[in-house]
Amino acid sequence: MALLNVENLTVGYKTKTGLLKAVNDISFSIEQGRSLGFVGESGCGKTTIGMTLMGLLPENASILQGDIYFNGSNLAGLNDKQWRDFRGREISMIFQAAMNAMNPVIRVDEQIIEAIETHNPEMSKTDINEKVKTLFNMVDIPKDRLKDYPHQYSGGMKQRAIIAMALACNPRLIIADEPTTALDVIVQDQILKEIKKIQKELNTSVVFISHDIAVVADVCEDICVMYGGQIVEKGKREEVFKCPLHPYTKTLLASYLSLDSDANIKVPEIQKAPDLITFNGKCCFAGSCNCCTAKCKSHSPGWVNMSETHQAFCFEDTLKKDNNGR
Amino acid sequence: MEDKEKRPIPVMELKGVTKEYCLRDSFFSRGSTCVIAMNNVNLAIQKGEIFGLVGQSGSGKTTTGRLMVKLENPSKGVIKLNGEPLSNIQGKALKSYRSKVQMIFQDPYQSLNPHLSISETILEPLIVNKIGDAHSREQKVINTLDIVGLAPAREYYNRYPHQLSGGQRQRVAIARAIVLDPEFIVADEPTSMLDATIAIQLFKLLKQIRKKYNMAFLFITHNLAAAKYLCDRIAVIHNGVIVETGSTNVVIRYPQHPYTKKLIETHPGFNF
Ligand SMILES: Nc1ncnc2c1ncn2[C@@H]1O[C@H](COP(=O)(O)OP(=O)(O)OP(=O)(O)O)[C@@H](O)[C@H]1O
Ligand SMILES: Nc1ncnc2c1ncn2[C@@H]1O[C@H](COP(=O)(O)OP(=O)(O)OP(=O)(O)O)[C@@H](O)[C@H]1O
Ligand SMILES: [Mg+2]
Ligand SMILES: [Mg+2]
Repeated sequence: MALLNVENLTVGYKTKTGLLKAVNDISFSIEQGRSLGFVGESGCGKTTIGMTLMGLLPENASILQGDIYFNGSNLAGLNDKQWRDFRGREISMIFQAAMNAMNPVIRVDEQIIEAIETHNPEMSKTDINEKVKTLFNMVDIPKDRLKDYPHQYSGGMKQRAIIAMALACNPRLIIADEPTTALDVIVQDQILKEIKKIQKELNTSVVFISHDIAVVADVCEDICVMYGGQIVEKGKREEVFKCPLHPYTKTLLASYLSLDSDANIKVPEIQKAPDLITFNGKCCFAGSCNCCTAKCKSHSPGWVNMSETHQAFCFEDTLKKDNNGR
Repeated sequence: MEDKEKRPIPVMELKGVTKEYCLRDSFFSRGSTCVIAMNNVNLAIQKGEIFGLVGQSGSGKTTTGRLMVKLENPSKGVIKLNGEPLSNIQGKALKSYRSKVQMIFQDPYQSLNPHLSISETILEPLIVNKIGDAHSREQKVINTLDIVGLAPAREYYNRYPHQLSGGQRQRVAIARAIVLDPEFIVADEPTSMLDATIAIQLFKLLKQIRKKYNMAFLFITHNLAAAKYLCDRIAVIHNGVIVETGSTNVVIRYPQHPYTKKLIETHPGFNF
């Protein structure tokens, strides 16, 4: 049985102009010890998924539909108190821009000790200290830097401390939301290695969120591509990145700049961001898709299977047209 | 020897600029530790040029940008805008300087005022600089939101930063920087939060702005592929010292400094 099973999840934010469906009827699952990556446009709902799995949605947000089975029990119905017990123990999250979220006036080690104490009130001081040392060792922060304040760390060190904190309670699932975006490529490389090592050694499952497809391709075995609150393609990384199906995935891959890209690379037209408030259940990429057919505007798309693991949320005709067109 | 008269005056020039930060070790000790964030930096950026500054975390990139927009002053050396040194400008001249030189900050989570709505954030520079009337300002804000891809503008107009995703916040920061049509923009890792399709559209946009208004940019990044796509020339900075400068293609094809070589090596690719 999968460790996490999300079924038909829809999450909405109340806004002045109406209900904004940031996550719209998505389903995915993840096995123990595997890594699942979410990629997609800025604003497509990636962080919202993470916050939902952590029970940390802001007040104007709510789960409108769907179930979240973690290890057999449904999280969608938990109350605040149940969430507090659960959070950090079984699932922990490395937040987007977490580097700035550390408390500046508390020493780094104390912040981690506090995280452990909250969830393990029975643990002795000596055991906790031992645990902290092991964690820092795991993320390669020298022992003599344990008592520093966060501002004395470089960006990369702060981010590694955050990872140590996320590991503090041996979670079975870690959600990493853009854990390396603020870092330079060399530090990024170290952190990604760290995450992969932890996933292997501790058999932790990882949900990895990033808009950087090369980073996700490096870390994750399975991929979900999102657009406008929906998953539009899923599959193993080789399938999605080597044989992309959905027109959005293709656009995304084509826009990726590499050191060999030439200056005349085709730039997609400015896309009108999908309107998540007036969304009508039809394909939200239709407005920007160059294979769009009449059907795309009148019918809701469905899952087209390429293999047992590889699927796109589109129409067979559209996918065919797309293949012939290129 | 080149004739001095014929050389165009750079929009932005740094001559022998050094910036030192000194921190007291603690309240009670008298010792202090100093960090040299920039060490004898020389740079000249021409009108209409997109100039890349590449380097590792902590190498002094943001500091360079902060000095250019005069958020801070150099410890040593001179900074010139269109040939005019700006060491002593104050009052009106400073205000006018601030409208001509803009900065897009690295971290939109910190750089946007959480108490201002999106429209207020972008209106503010227009109001401060007394540009246009209420109606034309509003139009300008809507156009600018459109340019940076926050469309339909009305959906974002009255929202607050916490109601936006990370990438949307960064687009607001970019809108705020370009709304005054400045002469020079420091863009500090402006796309590190954006996905590829939007990043490349923004690069295209920056290129268009450059062409149309002959605007110049300092583009700070550690993404060499982005620098290669966007920049005419780049400088590589390491521990506050510029270790390599040249046309982007040449530097990437024939890197001299070990750090530049390492950047090229670790550049992420699809090799699984
Ligand atoms: N508190 C909120 N109130 C209203 N709308 C919100 C709120 N938080 C997020 N949104 C909207 O929900 C959508 C999804 O946001 P989310 O932060 O999940 O995106 P994301 O995929 O993480 O993007 P990014 O890559 O830019 O971080 C966006 O359109 C955003 O504007
Ligand atoms: N206000 C300050 N006080 C003390 N030291 C500072 C201050 N601002 C910057 N520094 C130090 O100056 C050096 C250069 O910092 P800067 O922010 O310019 O680096 P950067 O190249 O922008 O790095 P990053 O890629 O991480 O943003 C660093 O060692 C930093 O710790
Ligand atoms: Mg996000
Ligand atoms: Mg910086």
